[in-house]
Amino acid sequence: MSNSYHRNAVLALRDVVKTYEMGAEKVHALSGVSLDINRNEYVAIMGPSGSGKSTLMNIIGCLDIPTSGSYSLDGEMVANKSEGELAEIRNRMIGFVFQTFNLIPRADIFHNVELPLVYGGIPKAERRQRTEEAIEQVGLADRMKHKPNELSGGQRQRVAIARALVFNPSIILADEPTGNLDTKTGEEIMGMFDDLHAAGQTIILVTHEDNIARHANRAIHLRDGKIERDVVTSGDAAAA
Amino acid sequence: MNTTLDIVESFKIAWAAIIANKARGALTTLGIIIGIVAVTTTMTAFNGMQSSFSQAAGAIGVDVVYVSRMPWIVMNDFFDFRNRPNLNISEAQQLEKAFEGRAIVNPSIDTRRDLRFHSRTMEGVSIIGTTEKMPIITNRMPEYGRFLMEFDVRYKKNAAIIGYEVAEDLFGSVNPLNKEINIGRYTFRVAGVMEEQGGNTLGGPNFDRQVFIPISTFIKSFGGRRFMDVDIAVKASAISTLDDLEYEVIGEMRKIRKLRPTEPENFSINKLDSLLGAFNSIVGAVLGIGLLVTSIALFVGGIGVMNIMFVSVTERTREIGIRKAIGAKRRSILMQFLFESATICLLGGLIGILISAGLAAAINASGMMPASLSPGIMLASIIVSVVVGVFAGLVPAFKGARLDPIDALRYE
Ligand SMILES: Nc1ncnc2c1ncn2[C@@H]1O[C@H](COP(=O)(O)OP(=O)(O)OP(=O)(O)O)[C@@H](O)[C@H]1O
Ligand SMILES: [Mg+2]
Repeated sequence: MSNSYHRNAVLALRDVVKTYEMGAEKVHALSGVSLDINRNEYVAIMGPSGSGKSTLMNIIGCLDIPTSGSYSLDGEMVANKSEGELAEIRNRMIGFVFQTFNLIPRADIFHNVELPLVYGGIPKAERRQRTEEAIEQVGLADRMKHKPNELSGGQRQRVAIARALVFNPSIILADEPTGNLDTKTGEEIMGMFDDLHAAGQTIILVTHEDNIARHANRAIHLRDGKIERDVVTSGDAAAA
Repeated sequence: MNTTLDIVESFKIAWAAIIANKARGALTTLGIIIGIVAVTTTMTAFNGMQSSFSQAAGAIGVDVVYVSRMPWIVMNDFFDFRNRPNLNISEAQQLEKAFEGRAIVNPSIDTRRDLRFHSRTMEGVSIIGTTEKMPIITNRMPEYGRFLMEFDVRYKKNAAIIGYEVAEDLFGSVNPLNKEINIGRYTFRVAGVMEEQGGNTLGGPNFDRQVFIPISTFIKSFGGRRFMDVDIAVKASAISTLDDLEYEVIGEMRKIRKLRPTEPENFSINKLDSLLGAFNSIVGAVLGIGLLVTSIALFVGGIGVMNIMFVSVTERTREIGIRKAIGAKRRSILMQFLFESATICLLGGLIGILISAGLAAAINASGMMPASLSPGIMLASIIVSVVVGVFAGLVPAFKGARLDPIDALRYE
């Protein structure tokens, strides 16, 4: 990796190890991952099942902390942060998009999208404005008062994207965002990520599928908890 | 983080969760409802008894000693008193003479008779034969007209001073003064109407349903031997303490009855204190039972709410994971569930207050005692139910707040 990565890096991992202890047995989900990702990169993390993709995403997303190694996000070291501080980092700097959408079923679309701002302590009027903007951005302005179960899968994932965007995060993390969608809807969702990337957003997504990975500009292949290959791709699907 | 925002949001979330589980919430609140009904009823009963007692206390007088055949509160030694001689009017007169200049002595006798004024009647009204000194003992005065006077007693006048309720029921809008009424078979002229005393007291006399007539007239008209048991009230004017007065009254009565020093008294001395003990034990029992029922109901209700909250936390494990992933801190999750359980209990409390208000109105209407739900009791109930809710929610809410976000997100 060249030095230019460092200067512009939004996140940097050094020798990150994650070990789970299952009784006497130790599972090395990540065994020494070093990685820099720059602002406005569009990265696909790939690899076989069990290779550590979700574990890596959880660490990048500050849902989990490494067993050893260091991780800095926007120049700040994440290790040794308290649970409350990690919650604040997740709140302000990271937007999650999950395979299973993970919307709150009882809350309507507006409230689902608004929630990060609520936890961020944003005043009501500003919350309202930013929430409406985010919902409009994903094209669901007419569904604000609907419950998630009244929407299609693709629409639900768009709500999740709006929620991830609403607090203007440093990175968007998507763990198999199209895994529960048919090909056509998946392409629509990927189109949305492409647009966000074009607008300057940093995006990291996990996928099994080459078609999906082709939207990104860089593919990181994991195997057995290690980076096997880290390649720059054309991003030709995005351009298409 | 802005706390007021947190509270408003927590409340909204709690409300939505409760609305989504109406039936379950309603069932859970039953224990809380019962607990709150128990606590308000107990406190209302307590207030009612207190006001009844202070009303009775005013009529009895704190500085008055009563000589009667029987003690006011007879426990289980009734047969010891049964053969006592009645107190008669001549003993009252001797006692009066003995205390001349040192104490007011006022005899009274009572019975029940029907009243009639033209076509209107009242049945079984308390008729009290007494003297002009009665108001000094009871501090009760006529609202208009006059009380009995010395000459009424001396000349056995057929004068009647009627209670407030008697005036209302028998005369309606007619002015009762100087009207003739029938008391049993005899005709009396109304000379005065007493101030309103406030109706019933707990099982005790209704001071507004009384008629006062001269004791001499009473004896002449209603005084068969059976009714000749006089009560004598003695109020000190120149004797310093109530104990001294009691001591002297006992001495004079023993003299009048010519009791030898070894003989026990065959009369009783009563005063407010003798009621106070009984009152306190009744109040104590009511409070004790009330608080026991209350705490059991609230405890059981609280356990129920705790259970529901455990279910609620488990059911929403994934939701907790989502909330944490997008930035909720432990405190926010804790607040969310505490608000939910407090709101469930508050709802139960409010329903309990409504039921209690209905009960109080029913008790009031039944005339057993004055009962109304005071704002203080309502506030106390609301506080109690919220506190129970917070305590019941504490452990489940902590369980939810401490969940690991990744585990919670993976929960199916
Ligand atoms: N909480 C855990 N406790 C124990 N082992 C775990 C835990 N989470 C993950 N692992 C193990 O760590 C390894 C990496 O898991 P991870 O979920 O990161 O894989 P993945 O690449 O996301 O796989 P998939 O494509 O199936 O989602 C696996 O062997 C998994 O069994
Ligand atoms: Mg995975």
